[in-house]
Amino acid sequence: MTAERLLRLYPPAWRARYGDEFLATVGEARLSVVNVFDIVMVAIDAWLSPDVRNATRAWRPATSGGTGPTNGGGMPMLKAMLRCGRTGSRVTPRDGLIGAGVMLAVSFAFAGAGILLRRSGMPEAGEALKSLAFSVSFVVSMPWWLMKGTPWKAQGVIIGVTLLILIACTWIATRI
Amino acid sequence: MAKKNDDLLAGLGRFSEPALYILISLADGPKHGYAMTQDIEAVAGQRLGPGTLYGAIARLEARGWIEPLAAEDRRRPYRLTAAGQRVLRHRLESLRSVARVGRARLAET
Repeated sequence: MTAERLLRLYPPAWRARYGDEFLATVGEARLSVVNVFDIVMVAIDAWLSPDVRNATRAWRPATSGGTGPTNGGGMPMLKAMLRCGRTGSRVTPRDGLIGAGVMLAVSFAFAGAGILLRRSGMPEAGEALKSLAFSVSFVVSMPWWLMKGTPWKAQGVIIGVTLLILIACTWIATRI
Repeated sequence: MAKKNDDLLAGLGRFSEPALYILISLADGPKHGYAMTQDIEAVAGQRLGPGTLYGAIARLEARGWIEPLAAEDRRRPYRLTAAGQRVLRHRLESLRSVARVGRARLAET
C-alpha cells in the first residue's frame, strides 16, 4: 500500500498542511505493516484531536510563520460542536445542533433499548447496547461536524468500519 | 516553573516521547521530517513512524514550541522556538534529576 493512498484517510485540512512534506518524508517505497498501522492510527487521531485540527485549520500556505500556541484542547465535545460555527470552521451552528441532537437521540435510543432488553430477560444484550450508546452516538454524529466536507463514500467507509469494530468488540466482550 | 513545563510536555500523551525526541533533534538547528527521523534514530535508537512523527509535529506546532520555515522543494524544515527551548531545557533538567536518583539508588545496592 502506498503512502498516497493512506494519506486520503486524513482530514482535508491536514492533507493541505502536511500532505506534501509527509509524502516527501515517507518516500516512494512500499510501507511496512508497522508503518501502515502507525499512519492509520494517527489518521484517526487527526480527525479526533482538537490540537491537530487547530494546528491545521490555522495554517496559511502563503506565509511560513508558525501557527501560534493554542489552549491545548480538552473542550467538552458538545460545547465544541456548538461553538464550531463561531470559530471560523466550515461547521455551522445548525450543523453543530444537528450533530448534538443526533448524538443525544442515538445515546437515548441505545440506552433505552438496553434497559428494555434487560427487563425482557436478555441482560447481556441489554448491557452490550448500553455500553455501545456513547461510542455509536459519537461515530454516527461525525458527518455533521468532524467529517463535514469529507466525501460521502469515505464517510461511509470510516463510519461503517468503526461501527463494525465496535459491535464486534462488544460481542466478543459479552462472551468472555 | 519546571514542573509546569514538564506537565505541558506530558500533556501530549502518547506523543510526549516522540515530541521530546523532535525537540532534541531540532536543538542543533532546523531539520525537515526525514532528517529528524534519521537524527532521532542515530541519537536515541528509535525509528519514528511517519504518522507518529507528524502527529507529534502538529502538536508541537500548535503549542508554538516549533515553527515551520519556508519549504525546500516538498520538504519543510522546522525550527525550535524560544518557548520550545524552555520546555526542552526543563524536561531535560527533570530527566537528569531522575537519572541522578536512579544511579544513586543503583550504587547503594
